[in-house]
Amino acid sequence: MGSRASTLLREEEIEEIKKETGFSHSQITRLYSRFTSLDKGENGTLSREDFQRIPELAINPLGDRIINAFFPEGEDQVNFKGFMRTLAHFRPIEDNEKNKNLPASEPLNSRTNKLLFAFRLYDLDRDNKISRDELLQVLEKVDVEQKMSIRFLH
Amino acid sequence: MLPRIAPFNRTGFARTVPELGLLLLAILVLLEGSVLPLGAASTPETNTHGEANRSGAVEGHSNHTKKAFPVLSFNYESVKLPFEISLWVLLAFLMKLGFHLVPRLSGIVPESCLLIVVGLLVGGLIRLAREEVPPVLNSKLFFYCLLPPIILDAGYFLPIRPFMENLGTILMFAVVGTLWNAFFVGGLLFAICLIPQTPVLNIGLLPCLLFGSIISAVDPVAVLAVFEEIHINELLHILVFGESLLNDAVTVVLYHLFEEFALVGSVTVLDGFLGIISFLIVALGGVLFGAIFGFLAAFTSRFTSHIRVIEPLFVFVYSYMAYLAAEMFHLSGIMALIACGAVMRPYVEANISHKSHTTIKYFLKMWSSVSETLIFIFLGVATVEGPHEWNWVFVTATVILCLVSRVIGVVGLTFVINKFRIVKLTTKDQFIIAYGGLRGAIAFSLGFLLDEHHFKMRNIFLTAIITVVFFTVFVQGMTIKPLVELLAVKKKQEAKRSINEEIHTQFLDHLLTGIEDICGHYGHHHWKDKLNRFNKKYVKGFLIVGERSKEPQLIAFYHKMEMKQAIQMVESGGGSKLASAMPSTVSMQNIQPKNQAAPLKPKERALPQLSKGREEEIRKILRTNLQRTRQRLHSYNRHTLVGDPEEEGIKDLILKKQMRIELDRKIKEMANHLTVPARTQDSPTMRRARLASGRNTDFIPAQQQKGNKNSSDPQSFTVKPSADGVPVIQVDLASPQSPDSVNLFDETGQPAQNDDQGLMMKTKSSESDKRSEKDDLRDQQKLMRCLSDPGPAAEEDEDEPFLP
Repeated sequence: MGSRASTLLREEEIEEIKKETGFSHSQITRLYSRFTSLDKGENGTLSREDFQRIPELAINPLGDRIINAFFPEGEDQVNFKGFMRTLAHFRPIEDNEKNKNLPASEPLNSRTNKLLFAFRLYDLDRDNKISRDELLQVLEKVDVEQKMSIRFLH
Repeated sequence: MLPRIAPFNRTGFARTVPELGLLLLAILVLLEGSVLPLGAASTPETNTHGEANRSGAVEGHSNHTKKAFPVLSFNYESVKLPFEISLWVLLAFLMKLGFHLVPRLSGIVPESCLLIVVGLLVGGLIRLAREEVPPVLNSKLFFYCLLPPIILDAGYFLPIRPFMENLGTILMFAVVGTLWNAFFVGGLLFAICLIPQTPVLNIGLLPCLLFGSIISAVDPVAVLAVFEEIHINELLHILVFGESLLNDAVTVVLYHLFEEFALVGSVTVLDGFLGIISFLIVALGGVLFGAIFGFLAAFTSRFTSHIRVIEPLFVFVYSYMAYLAAEMFHLSGIMALIACGAVMRPYVEANISHKSHTTIKYFLKMWSSVSETLIFIFLGVATVEGPHEWNWVFVTATVILCLVSRVIGVVGLTFVINKFRIVKLTTKDQFIIAYGGLRGAIAFSLGFLLDEHHFKMRNIFLTAIITVVFFTVFVQGMTIKPLVELLAVKKKQEAKRSINEEIHTQFLDHLLTGIEDICGHYGHHHWKDKLNRFNKKYVKGFLIVGERSKEPQLIAFYHKMEMKQAIQMVESGGGSKLASAMPSTVSMQNIQPKNQAAPLKPKERALPQLSKGREEEIRKILRTNLQRTRQRLHSYNRHTLVGDPEEEGIKDLILKKQMRIELDRKIKEMANHLTVPARTQDSPTMRRARLASGRNTDFIPAQQQKGNKNSSDPQSFTVKPSADGVPVIQVDLASPQSPDSVNLFDETGQPAQNDDQGLMMKTKSSESDKRSEKDDLRDQQKLMRCLSDPGPAAEEDEDEPFLP
């Protein structure tokens, strides 16, 4: 597995991804091995079925939406770069990054971009608006059986 | 966490009231001082009197003593102990009252300081009055009576979510920080003792380390007392407070360890190793004991639906037994208590009645308040009593070393911790954490426990401990508030969570769990999710009574908010105007757990199944609530709830049309039901299913209800199509039979018609005969539970819904 990973991921790709997403070298390698383990078809891209094969994701009420978030508009396959780009939204914000000279576009894990990602999860029809029905749909699917504060009423 | 009465703001009146108060205090103190010597004085009297009587009776059996029957006699001895205890408690309370009558004082000086001063005064008075001061702060009283209520109060109302999120940080501070403090202070004190210039201080290394371990623990009582009043943000509060709770395990182990070794005289590596194992056992064992008792309490509370009066007792007794059981094995009693309270709370609260919940809350607050007050007063008294041995070098060295070690410890640990935290701790935070490391009565009691014979330097220790305690409580306690203001530390946010926040928090939890699964990383969210699923699947069904275990929690939370609003409304005496603010109550209480067996979704998606009824319900709440929110924001002064035309317009019309269509559909269904003959041979599930579908009608037209009395839901959502399509919201807060039933006006301004709407407890028809007796009883119980007296106004402290 390890040797396969290093031959399929070239150094310059790693550099590109590092610059774009801010992940470190070891993180990129680790995530790449995860990517390849998910990629059963071994064609360098992930399809929706590959994601759905993850058992915990199947029981996650938001599983579909999360999977959709990885695939850009209209496409059915996501390559490693796209995979990393989406995951980059979840990287913790470092304090020292604020002091560095700002890149041309905001880093992918900035507050705005995180919010944008969350927004897109709600906005199913991608019209940049969250209608009431979309909100309702999210709320229905969410596992309301989940334990919340039990403040009884009776 | 303890509620404090806000100081009154009476300026003109203040001149007389505090004077009166102080006068009262002075009188009581004198009384206290005088009664005790009187007691001491009267005891020889009564004793001799008794003896005389007895001897007189023995010898004068033949000739009866010619003494007049004592009409009025004074016998202090028999009531001595309870009397004194009550007097102390009374003193404590009057002190508290007195402080709040003088607003300026309580603003500047924290209560704990004032109480210690009072204790000093009382101690001084007693000393003047007679020779010996009662040893009030003996360790047994402290550890078995005074400390448990405070810890239980803290543990029961512990905010679980922030605690768990910061658990790593808290443990680091508690364990590593305390160890560092103990060894640093102990070691350096020993080094100082070795210096030849110091006055003769023949203290060995192990006693020094023992002293270090006693003095190093941050005290939960003191932290609570001081932090209570400064209202800093939740993160810092939970960090310092959690640390003070969890370091008990470390303290216990170190204390026993060094006490043993100080007697023996030497320590080997094996002993150190055993010490580490002992620490693990103490901590984990304490938590385990607490969890076991917590589950027992939760399980017991499942069966208390018939004897509601003794419900609070279970909470208290089981927790206390957890504490005592842990102490029996020399495990950490404090951790046991915390674990017990935290574990049992979710289940117990789901099972017990509203009144019991109120009782528990108020009893806990009351007891912990009394305990805290008494502890500080006794601290003052014990200071006066001594025994003291003042040693300048030792004491000042202790104070300085404590401060220094705390600062170094916090800074060093934060440096390490920040590498692992997402939200880093800033310098300001570090300062507050370091400054908030108060020592208190636990340290003193531990010192008191030391055996006089084995530890000749006990008095020096005690003096030093008291000095450190005084220093931290007075100096740090008084200055922390202005410092917090000065440094502009973030304060606690008072905003309550809305349903919206709850929903989004859950949403984010799921999102993050999903991403973690994609990354293949078993992180925080993954385990939390697993725990929640396990909890829901196995534990809740076991510990929570009946159908409540299956109730979706979003609905439960929603209900709670509604109930709270309703109670507020009733208390404020609102009428039609506030009706618009009331969200609708869908008939959820009575939906029996039904149709849970049939999975409605295809087999690949192993989602936890929501029955169709529930989904429908949830959809309806959300739809109506989201709609109502907009309307609610506009104005409260409306007689008729006409939808804002410019805002809602077409969507509203569509919605109303939808509702009309549903109404018609349901009317048809109802008609079908009425024609179906009653069949008593139905299987329970069939019966329930039919009933459920029948009672799932959320919109029942008024005229239909006259004919069909099946809608005996206490809180059914009724619609009057007579009004211009506007949904009518009606919630009767009390059954028609009870005297304090409140008839809310519906939005059309007409008085609610009791006979066919609202609570239908009295109407029973042939349809409802089908209902089993159990259902009825359960409904009634639920209703009764709802309809308790409005109780307290909205609580602030433990009111955060927590997502563990």
